[in-house]
Amino acid sequence: MTPMHFTFTSAFILSLLGLTIHRTSLLSALLCLEGMMLTLYIALTLWSVENSSSAYLMSPLILLAFSACEACTGLSLLIATTRTHGNNHLQNLNLLQC
Amino acid sequence: MIYFVMLMLMCFIIGLVGVASNPSPYFAAFGLVMSAAIGCGLLASHGTSFLSFVLFLIYLGGMLVVFVYSAALTAEPYPESWLDWPVLVNVMMYLLGVGVGVYYFFGEWNMMHWMGVDELNNFSLWRGDLSGTSLMYSDGIMLLFLAGWVLLLTLFVVLELIRGLGRGALRVV
Repeated sequence: MTPMHFTFTSAFILSLLGLTIHRTSLLSALLCLEGMMLTLYIALTLWSVENSSSAYLMSPLILLAFSACEACTGLSLLIATTRTHGNNHLQNLNLLQC
Repeated sequence: MIYFVMLMLMCFIIGLVGVASNPSPYFAAFGLVMSAAIGCGLLASHGTSFLSFVLFLIYLGGMLVVFVYSAALTAEPYPESWLDWPVLVNVMMYLLGVGVGVYYFFGEWNMMHWMGVDELNNFSLWRGDLSGTSLMYSDGIMLLFLAGWVLLLTLFVVLELIRGLGRGALRVV
């Protein structure tokens, strides 16, 4: 366990805990997802760097493209929720079903 | 240099604690910006300057601008910062958890983890990450086409999700 591995493991677990436990607003959940994708990007890069296998360095770029798609879909869901419900608090999605 | 990298690792965790401890989205976006910038520094310290540059451009230039714009769109009158009481409890709890993890793993801490991608680092224009990522255009061409197809599909998904004339965001509520 190097400090680098400890940092990325704990950062990923922290973002996952923030996504699962605290769910006040939808935008906070999306920001926790983005933190997870940022951690995965850096972890993939450092994995292939520390194994000296530079042929796998294209995998973070593909991951970044997919995380851009995920961020776009999440933000459009946020905009749709704000349009129909007035705010983006996750408790209101159960209260005001329409 | 290793002390500077340890400082960057610590600030990376603190930035993600600031995201995960459920403040208002303005402050959470600030924490994510801090973590992304420090992640760029970490990647550059390992020699992968091109991937660090891509991370800087895509995250700080593209996605986080959109996130800050959406945070401004869904504004709240009294935002909670990290100094308010329930958020402060979460921050303390997460920092305590990380501290317990550091204490548990501190005996087998391996400080010799430094690996760069520079095989020929004297005035070299050809770093390892450049040669690695350029494989995306030859061997990984199908992955490149798949990523392009997924981006196009996401465009249609987003257009379908926010379609609608009678329920726009700018109507008078």
